[in-house]
Amino acid sequence: MAFTPRTSQRGGSSQRASSGQIRKKRTCRFCESKDTYIDYKIEKRLQRFVSEQGRIIPKRITGTCSKHQRLLVTAIKRARHLALLPYVSDAVK
Amino acid sequence: MHDTKKIYESTFIVSASLDDHQIDGVIEKVKDVIVKNNGEIREMVKWGRKRFTYPIKKKNNGFYVIAEFSAPGDVVAKLERHYFLDENILRYLTIMLDKKALQGRPAPSLLASEQPSTEAKPAEPVKPASAEGTVGKVDNSGVA
Repeated sequence: MAFTPRTSQRGGSSQRASSGQIRKKRTCRFCESKDTYIDYKIEKRLQRFVSEQGRIIPKRITGTCSKHQRLLVTAIKRARHLALLPYVSDAVK
Repeated sequence: MHDTKKIYESTFIVSASLDDHQIDGVIEKVKDVIVKNNGEIREMVKWGRKRFTYPIKKKNNGFYVIAEFSAPGDVVAKLERHYFLDENILRYLTIMLDKKALQGRPAPSLLASEQPSTEAKPAEPVKPASAEGTVGKVDNSGVA
């Protein structure tokens, strides 16, 4: 069969080897609060979207929508430039 | 050339080894650069001494200052040139604030008062007040 319904490919399918089984049914946090701008200076807010190693967590795990993920990534990168967030965290070392 | 003023936000880090007077001097020089080039300063906020997450120029902390100003477009290059030449300024970041940013961001003066839960973000969802040292704490995720 050439046609495979999309729903069978998402989360829980055996085809996904990675940890994509965590399905985020919740809406994006920023969409709920209707944020139009994510401030890079508030590092406490940004830390939730960064792993222990300092890496940015993908949106499929946090449940963020694409638009806000892009804003978030820009904010995280600015914060890293100003040493408010690490590029690489101590957990790695 | 366009003379319309745009609103910019410039955050810069001053060396923490300076005295308060010297830090004020550095800030005054930055103000002069902006004002001399037809800029208008809306806010100049001393954010305070903060610890870096990685060493910058072999130092572990610095004094952060946030400047919000409106100026024509050519000011930014001159300002950043000034930052580059001043030895006491360790790092800087200048961004332009568009409509969405102006609506959605908290005022820099609120950051300076350092009240973690009372920042005036519009309708911020209630989040558990995780402690300041926890990096990478994410709710409901299986990130190893």
